[in-house]
Amino acid sequence: MKSTIETYLKVLVIVLLTFTFTAFTSKNSTQNYKCMIQMVNYSGEKAYVVVSLMNSNDTYEKTIYVQGDDKEWYPDLKKWWDFSTSKKEKIDAITGATIGNGERNIISISLDKKYINNGYKLRFESAVENQEYYAVDAEVVLDSETIKNKVDGKGYIRYVRMVPN
Amino acid sequence: MTISIWRYSHLILAISSSLFLLLASITGVILAIEPIDNKLQSYYISDSENLSVSKTMENLSHNYNGILSINKDKNDFISITTVINGSNESFYINPFTGKKIGDIIEKAPIYKFATNLHRSLFLKSIGRFFIGLTSFLLFLIAVTGVILIAKRQGGIFKFFSPLVKENFSQYYHIIISRIVLIPIVIIAASGVYLSLLRFSILPETNIVHTVDYENIKDSSRATPTDFAIFSETKLSELKTLEYPFSDFIEDNYLLKLNKKEIIINQFTGEILSEQEYPFTAIISNLASVLHTGTGSASWSIVLGLATLAIPFLIYSGFVMSLRRPKTKIKNKFSKNNSKYIILVGSEGGSTLQYARLVYQELINAGESCFMAEMNNYSSYKQMEHLIIITATYGQGKATTNAKNFIKKFKNTEQNSPYSYSIVGFGSTSYPDFCQFAYEVDNCIDTDKKSNKILELHTVNNKSFESFSQWVNLWSKKVGVIIKLNKLEVASIKKKTSLFNVVHKTNVITTNNDNSFLLQLKSLTKTNYNSGDLLAVYPENDSTERLYSISKVEENNILISIKKHDNGVCSNYLNNLQINNKVEAYIIKNKDFHFPKKAPKIVFIATGTGIGPFLGMIKSNHEQKDIIMYWGARTKASYMLYKDIIEDSINNNKLKSFNTAYSKATENKIYVQHLIEKDQENIAALLKEKGVIMICGSITMQNEVLQTLEKICIEKLGNKLSYYQNKKQIKMDCY
Repeated sequence: MKSTIETYLKVLVIVLLTFTFTAFTSKNSTQNYKCMIQMVNYSGEKAYVVVSLMNSNDTYEKTIYVQGDDKEWYPDLKKWWDFSTSKKEKIDAITGATIGNGERNIISISLDKKYINNGYKLRFESAVENQEYYAVDAEVVLDSETIKNKVDGKGYIRYVRMVPN
Repeated sequence: MTISIWRYSHLILAISSSLFLLLASITGVILAIEPIDNKLQSYYISDSENLSVSKTMENLSHNYNGILSINKDKNDFISITTVINGSNESFYINPFTGKKIGDIIEKAPIYKFATNLHRSLFLKSIGRFFIGLTSFLLFLIAVTGVILIAKRQGGIFKFFSPLVKENFSQYYHIIISRIVLIPIVIIAASGVYLSLLRFSILPETNIVHTVDYENIKDSSRATPTDFAIFSETKLSELKTLEYPFSDFIEDNYLLKLNKKEIIINQFTGEILSEQEYPFTAIISNLASVLHTGTGSASWSIVLGLATLAIPFLIYSGFVMSLRRPKTKIKNKFSKNNSKYIILVGSEGGSTLQYARLVYQELINAGESCFMAEMNNYSSYKQMEHLIIITATYGQGKATTNAKNFIKKFKNTEQNSPYSYSIVGFGSTSYPDFCQFAYEVDNCIDTDKKSNKILELHTVNNKSFESFSQWVNLWSKKVGVIIKLNKLEVASIKKKTSLFNVVHKTNVITTNNDNSFLLQLKSLTKTNYNSGDLLAVYPENDSTERLYSISKVEENNILISIKKHDNGVCSNYLNNLQINNKVEAYIIKNKDFHFPKKAPKIVFIATGTGIGPFLGMIKSNHEQKDIIMYWGARTKASYMLYKDIIEDSINNNKLKSFNTAYSKATENKIYVQHLIEKDQENIAALLKEKGVIMICGSITMQNEVLQTLEKICIEKLGNKLSYYQNKKQIKMDCY
């Protein structure tokens, strides 16, 4: 009986220690950014933009943010949609409203520090109802030296800028 | 012909769009609730519109330091988006305290679903296109509908004049569409506009700012809350204020106001660019607000009700067109081989049904008969008898299929002489009762070969009894034996009930004036009023006869009946004994009820036409001024009504009783003479919104109306129809 209680206590202590440690490390190992997506003055519907984390092999790691909350149009962002559906990602918590032409969208991004200075990139791909799809509209290399630089877009995005928060 | 074009387009537009229209209107009703719903959870802070932007910014800065933007929505709720612990949050704030007061209202799933269905039927662009098209069709339906109503009412200026109730669908289709017309036109037009905007057919409405980024200054820095532009701008003008993204010199404040956008240097407060929204942007915004009702609960209610009316209008419209009887005419004989020619002027088709009865009876009697629409009038080589059965459309106009008749008649000559008789169908609730039939009568009368064998016969409210009277008269004159069978008329025999005979007077016989009073009591529970009609079925006869009734003591029915020597029904009623049973039913006759709101009332009657007025006088407990003019052949028949009349005068229920006896003295006096004599009083009564009620023979009615017309024009400067339209003249004549 006594040994059982001891075992319980030991387990509890280990669990608590692990929890505090992970909490502590996670707090230190993430970096918050404020990111501005500035749209160009195109004509047409509001744009769908998805922000994904890409690894050094140029393949999708995970979805960071989806601008557009009507699932009907997600398949238009073809490459990302293939990845996201194959991985069965839950993206409800990281979606926001669509943004029209000429407008800006400011989002907050939280990234694990292991992705910084390790060849990872943030990819911005975009689509507008019945118009062209840009598989790579803009890309921001996650390099602490250059991350604050303005990155021009090729499609509906005029530029993307990030600042650490 | 023109009316059919409008009616067909109205119908075809409705058929082609009804499914989409139904979907769009049902979802539209749901969506109309959303703005009301939002408005109810009020995050509006009173007087916030007078607060300046700089004060709001200052209040907010005490609570939040990562603000990205301040927004004001169409409900005047103010919200901010700010970064809190590394993520974006949006919520409503109180601009005076700068504190959060509630979370942003999430669009409920039902509204999301309805919006999607309403906009694009879940079919993306194709669906959007169809919805846009439906909107356009709805607009065209409204336009053709306006034309149809204007034509029916006799001109666009009579658009809102009173309407005659023919049946439920017709009456409420028109009544409701007149009410919701304006909101529906707005919904349709704004819907089309928004669709055109979607498909980039209308010009874009963006503002493009040009800022000289090379030369932006950052000297002479000031605190943003001290910027002149922020302290000068009130929240009432604000749409959005976007804060600078970072402290890069290129980043700036973007202030979006109701009418313009301003870019402001984040360090100096200098205005870098200021551009007004183009006119199209204001129109687009208006179209969106008008279509969705955002920000206005009361307009949303109007939109919701108008949209709710659409399914009803679709339903009643289709019922109307399905019920409209077939108007195709089939003939057994050709026009040049027929002795009898029946011409029909029919709008809805019900007049045609009556004409068909006569046609069929003539064919059954072995006669050669040809039936045609009046517009198709031409020469008929073997015509001996011409019958014209025509309705009048709206206010005194020819029906569509009779419009060209008069012109054609004048240009066509018949080979040999012919007899003619005209039956006019109409309703005495319209001012120009059977007007077109009278015009046709005058026209045919001028033809030397024509021989009028009967005076024009009018039929009120499709009365079968009145029509069969004409058939009897006509067949006797022409010498062909035909008899109509009531059951052949499309309208089926009503469910009758039994009435008990309570009292009956003897027939007063003087000078061909044989009348008596009969009191009946319904054996079932029945609601009725004086002025309603009792349809009686004499034993072994399926033809109904109508009598105007009075409501008297103990819920009894009082009828005043004239006995005709050969009258099947009047003799049947006269032979009744106390406690005998009569088979009958009551027909509501709302247009001839006692006018409760009128300050003064005049009753004009001849003979048994006094019937319905007896009950109205008896129930005049308010002791309103009622003046009665009554005409009869001699004083003898007054004996029937003497007790009731004298009683009413003594109890102040009847102010005066004026009589005209046409056979009593040398110079014949008729009711119209009494009215002419009293014209000052009559004119004053009409001016004071009093009501004149007329009951009796058609001949008397025509004489009285002529006298009244003269009084109206001479004393009041208006036509009689002006007062008829105001329902100040009520008639029930036969």
